[in-house]
Amino acid sequence: MKNFELVEPSTIDEAVALLDPEDTGVRAIAGGTALMLMMKTRLFQPTRLVSLRRLNGALRTVRTDENGGLRIGALTTLTELEHSPLVAKAVPVMSRALRTLSNVRIRNVATIGGHLAHGDPHMDLPPILLTLGARVRAVSSRGERWIDVADLFLGYYQTAIARDELIAEVDVPLQPVNVHTWYAKFTALSADDWPTVGTAVWYRLESGVIAEARVAVSAATERPMRVPSAEAALTGSSPTVQMFAKAADAAADEVHPLADIRGSAAYKREMVRVHVRRALEHASRARSTEAE
Amino acid sequence: MMNETRRIIRFTLNGRAATANIAIYETVIEVLQRDFNLFGGRESCGQGLCGCCTVLVNGTAVSGCLYLAAFVDGAEVVTVEGLADRGVLHPIQQAFVSKTGFQCGYCTPGFILMTEQLLKRYPHPTDDEIRHYLSGNLCRCAAYPDIIEAVKAAANKIQAVESDP
Repeated sequence: MKNFELVEPSTIDEAVALLDPEDTGVRAIAGGTALMLMMKTRLFQPTRLVSLRRLNGALRTVRTDENGGLRIGALTTLTELEHSPLVAKAVPVMSRALRTLSNVRIRNVATIGGHLAHGDPHMDLPPILLTLGARVRAVSSRGERWIDVADLFLGYYQTAIARDELIAEVDVPLQPVNVHTWYAKFTALSADDWPTVGTAVWYRLESGVIAEARVAVSAATERPMRVPSAEAALTGSSPTVQMFAKAADAAADEVHPLADIRGSAAYKREMVRVHVRRALEHASRARSTEAE
Repeated sequence: MMNETRRIIRFTLNGRAATANIAIYETVIEVLQRDFNLFGGRESCGQGLCGCCTVLVNGTAVSGCLYLAAFVDGAEVVTVEGLADRGVLHPIQQAFVSKTGFQCGYCTPGFILMTEQLLKRYPHPTDDEIRHYLSGNLCRCAAYPDIIEAVKAAANKIQAVESDP
């Protein structure tokens, strides 16, 4: 690796002041597991890294807010989320997914803020957060703003976070009653590989009918994304295996998979079909959020 | 602060105070090998997948090949060399020997440190917990069945010591 400047500010104000909207070589680094991979392969050669490790206290908490939603500090590690009783209670789909996200050592170091800011379409939490209706609070020396996770991912490794912004917090709203969720991940090469396809599903039942549905696909596509045609297929229907298969067909038709070492575009399209269907079937068997 | 290419870091290494003069881009594994002659942690896949570079930082396992040495400034670092107590093997190390939980031994330090972490979280691990927890450690000799036996033996040994000190 080439040399670079490493700065370790102790407040978030200092941190954002050290970011540079003009210089693509300036990046924030938290756990650094993903960034280090890019640096080692020279995909990214930093001029300055702004380490966030001294900001830990303020940004490394998980709490319930006054509306019953979850507030997750951006520097919370994935291990902390995996074992958080608050996360397990509010969004068990997230706790379950974290258990098979990379491995223990990576989860010990990687943070949720970095996980989202990296914009890698293979990450596990973005499709889940898309279905949960989550948003992130981005701060810069210009102020702060909330960005819906639905508007966060613009393309392959591209996010709506500006060069001089940091993700400070993730807000997962209180989920309504009678919601079924699941995340299904398919790894083609080995169990601990990056996913070939990630599918997150979420639907809310009203009198036995799907009143609202959210389906998100990741890894196979250039960015994690909702799949409106699959959601439309589900809405107003009963949660039956036939409807799940229809929704899965709609998803497979809608996505534009990218070919890579984990499979051709055609193969991934079929895997989207299989795993959207399976995720919906699992969701229907999973315990829903509390019924009224 | 500008254009600083090297810095002095101070940390605790296997229980002793340590100082190193590092380049900013160096990983903790590079520094442990070059400055401290500690080769128990070794870079193998270089991507955090294989577990050969495992070191404990403030009691938590990290992939040393993805961890900047600058980030251990002020921290407590433990490598596999720090587990034995005055020449007496740690019960986990002893269990790996007794159960032959290795063949070539290249991955063993990583497995031993991850077992230390595993038993802290699950003192009586099930097979599933062991397999799941150690899924980020690769043994290319495929000594996995013996490794799992070694983990169980270590758990029993530690349990016996704790209930009868």
